[in-house]
Amino acid sequence: MINEALFFSAVLFTIGVVGVLTRRNAIIIFMCVELMLNAVNLTFVAFSKLYGAAGQIFVIFVMTVAAAEAAVGLAIIISIFRHRETVNLQNINLLKG
Amino acid sequence: MEIRAYLPLLLLMGFVIMNAVMMLGLSHLTMRSRPTAVKQSAYESGIPPLGDARERFSVKFYLVAMLFIIFDIETVFMIPWASHYRQLSCAVPLSNGLCPAGNTSFFGLGEMLVFMLILFVGLAYVWKKGALQWD
Amino acid sequence: MGYFYQINFYIFGLLAIASALAFVTRKSPVAAALWLVNTMFCLSALYIMMDAQFIGAIQVLVYAGAIMVVFLFVVMLLNLGHPSDIADMRGTWGKLIAAGIGVVLLAQILVIQRQRLPRIVPDVEAPRNVITGIAQPLFNEYLLAFEVTSVLLLAAIVGAVLLAKRRG
Repeated sequence: MINEALFFSAVLFTIGVVGVLTRRNAIIIFMCVELMLNAVNLTFVAFSKLYGAAGQIFVIFVMTVAAAEAAVGLAIIISIFRHRETVNLQNINLLKG
Repeated sequence: MEIRAYLPLLLLMGFVIMNAVMMLGLSHLTMRSRPTAVKQSAYESGIPPLGDARERFSVKFYLVAMLFIIFDIETVFMIPWASHYRQLSCAVPLSNGLCPAGNTSFFGLGEMLVFMLILFVGLAYVWKKGALQWD
Repeated sequence: MGYFYQINFYIFGLLAIASALAFVTRKSPVAAALWLVNTMFCLSALYIMMDAQFIGAIQVLVYAGAIMVVFLFVVMLLNLGHPSDIADMRGTWGKLIAAGIGVVLLAQILVIQRQRLPRIVPDVEAPRNVITGIAQPLFNEYLLAFEVTSVLLLAAIVGAVLLAKRRG
């Protein structure tokens, strides 16, 4: 069962990475990052069956970080949108020389 | 293996999915489509619809939703704390679920108080900034 | 365990992967968010089947119930109907490169997972009671991490209010 969970987790993580690389909408990229965090959480829970409760506690901390990241990241997206009227990352190139 | 206790939940999920598919599928199969302008318009509690549904929301909604996430996480930490509180407020292991007399400690209360105090600073900041005010 | 358990484990795992695939291929952000909610729900079922009931519950409460709702919220707040936002896929070359990186990454992870897992004695016993098994180490061994989490949340509150609130 742990092996299956690790396989599902690997596939989900890869889907998240491919999503980040192929999309340009900042919000969808952000959701792909959440998917990657979820895949890692699945690994943690699978290993907590072997190595004790520490994995589950780490999952709670990962969720906390994800919530904080969602709050701040979406606020950043909102304030970028206010200035540029877009969330397409190709149009947000102010730092390009 | 207490997983057997979740069987009713699985049955409920299956029933809900089947029910939804059946209701939508049957009504899709048996309906005759005769659209008119009135039928196609959005339903807004019976009154004629005003404007487009795709209006931009105010950012005030986002601020409330964001505060909700943060305090939701605080609650996630408080659930295990509350269910473990009896043991945390006792300096020695419990005997028969009760703390032996004279061993009460404020360890559990103190750690949650520190946690909540730091978060209360955030709440006070939000209050001061007026993000809780609607207008 | 039994076959019934195994079959359900596979069903939920494959459903999670299928929903994730649907999620990355949707054009509309709202549809993508709803498929991601489905993935998270299936993951919650997997957590419960792996004896992490509390994690499964907060997965639904926090991820599917709060974080994804805020994502949907922002999609509606920004009203993303603009054509340049809908056509957000990279070109064929970008997709090919991404697929190549994905295949390499998946192969790497699977090779690493083939390693024989080390048999180490856990620091913390595997939880027997659903919540107490987590609460015991969380409020003793991991106390510092728990307290520092509140500073993280404080930073998140201040940052989000500063960024999102209109000046004046």
